[in-house]
Amino acid sequence: MARLSIGCNFERLLYALRYDVWGVVMAKLSTIDAPVAAGSTSSLQQYAGRRTDEWSERLVLVGEQQDRAAFTQFFRHFAPLIKAFALSGSTMSAIHADELVQEVMIKVWQKASGFNPEKAAASTWVYTIARNCRTDMFRRLQKFETAIAAEDLEFDEAAEGPFSVLHSHRGAERIRELMADLPPDQAQILGKVYMEGKSHSEAAAELDLPLGTVKSRVRLAIQKLQVQFGTQ
Amino acid sequence: MARHHPPINFLTDYAAGALPTAQAACVYAHAVCCEPCRRIVGQLQDIGSALFNQLAPIPVSDKVLDCVLVRLDDPAPLRYRDNRAAANECPPLPGLLARIMNGDFSELAWKRITKSLSVSCLKVGDIAHEFALYRITAGGQIPEHNHGGSEMTLVLQGGFSDDSGVYHPGDFLYRQGLDTHAPLAIDGEGCICLTVLDAPLRFTRLRHRWMNPFLQLRVG
Repeated sequence: MARLSIGCNFERLLYALRYDVWGVVMAKLSTIDAPVAAGSTSSLQQYAGRRTDEWSERLVLVGEQQDRAAFTQFFRHFAPLIKAFALSGSTMSAIHADELVQEVMIKVWQKASGFNPEKAAASTWVYTIARNCRTDMFRRLQKFETAIAAEDLEFDEAAEGPFSVLHSHRGAERIRELMADLPPDQAQILGKVYMEGKSHSEAAAELDLPLGTVKSRVRLAIQKLQVQFGTQ
Repeated sequence: MARHHPPINFLTDYAAGALPTAQAACVYAHAVCCEPCRRIVGQLQDIGSALFNQLAPIPVSDKVLDCVLVRLDDPAPLRYRDNRAAANECPPLPGLLARIMNGDFSELAWKRITKSLSVSCLKVGDIAHEFALYRITAGGQIPEHNHGGSEMTLVLQGGFSDDSGVYHPGDFLYRQGLDTHAPLAIDGEGCICLTVLDAPLRFTRLRHRWMNPFLQLRVG
């Protein structure tokens, strides 16, 4: 047991050296509760499910301590991605894209205390906020009056049972590895649907492909990315 | 426990935020009560997250950061979110639907189409789809019809059957174009379904066809 925990600490130290000061702080914090986590099976499981990537750790700091320095680092990393997301495949102006960045980052600040690293990674959490804000902004720009905000159609992960984790544990990193092997035509359609927010039928119209072809390419792609779907 | 689920292409569009509002609300109303579908949607969102994190970053000026930092102390808006506990409350009705209906089934304005079929349209803010509740009286039948476009159906109360099966609360069906069916409410209980259409129904039997010109799509 002692050797095991030394090994863990060594790994944490390496991790902390690779990343910056926040990594060190979090590494110190997590060594405190490590022996507890090793104590019982259930907390071990929780421990295994907890995201320890640097962004999830920073987001926890923002949520628990309203840490502005951590928030600023978070902003510098994610704001340029949110802007790229805003501008992908759309006619959104740069001004609106910056507006979206502001809106998303303020939501990040306001909602950070609800972030649970056991349920999802920070990068996925930010992505869903950005996606919802973009949907709402498109509707606003097109002057849609809608009774439903995109956020209303979000499942409440806090209400899920203790061991119910909707997101894959291996998460985005594993998916990114698998994604590198997707044939270009499948990757292209995933980009249309996810990054450009086009439905299957819109993607089919734009690429001048039959809807059936689009459907089967997406289906093949998500199978390769190891999404487990049975009856659908 | 639902036995009929949305096809994977709808779940993918839903996870990507690419479904029109009315259809997204219908998929949501199914999945909020269906753990396996929520799990799939979670994994499909991980794909979105991976793609998002691979985007080529576009620089954001420090002015934007300053604007955000200044606004951090603004009070957070009170969000009206009563679908929070929804996952534990199904049936009878996902909280979101209850909010849109603003009352229960008996308080809605029902428009009678045939002896056994009434419709009540709800507003969700979708310019291309009708979002409506269809009520079939116990043992009643919707005249045989097909669809000029597509139809999503979610059983909310009671149940019905057609040539392809029997459907109970939580079950999700998708029909399109020339798929013809004549849903029959299960004896002894009426049936209420949420239906999302992008074109009006077309009755196919001579006896009912005269009504087709009156079956208009009420989007909104």
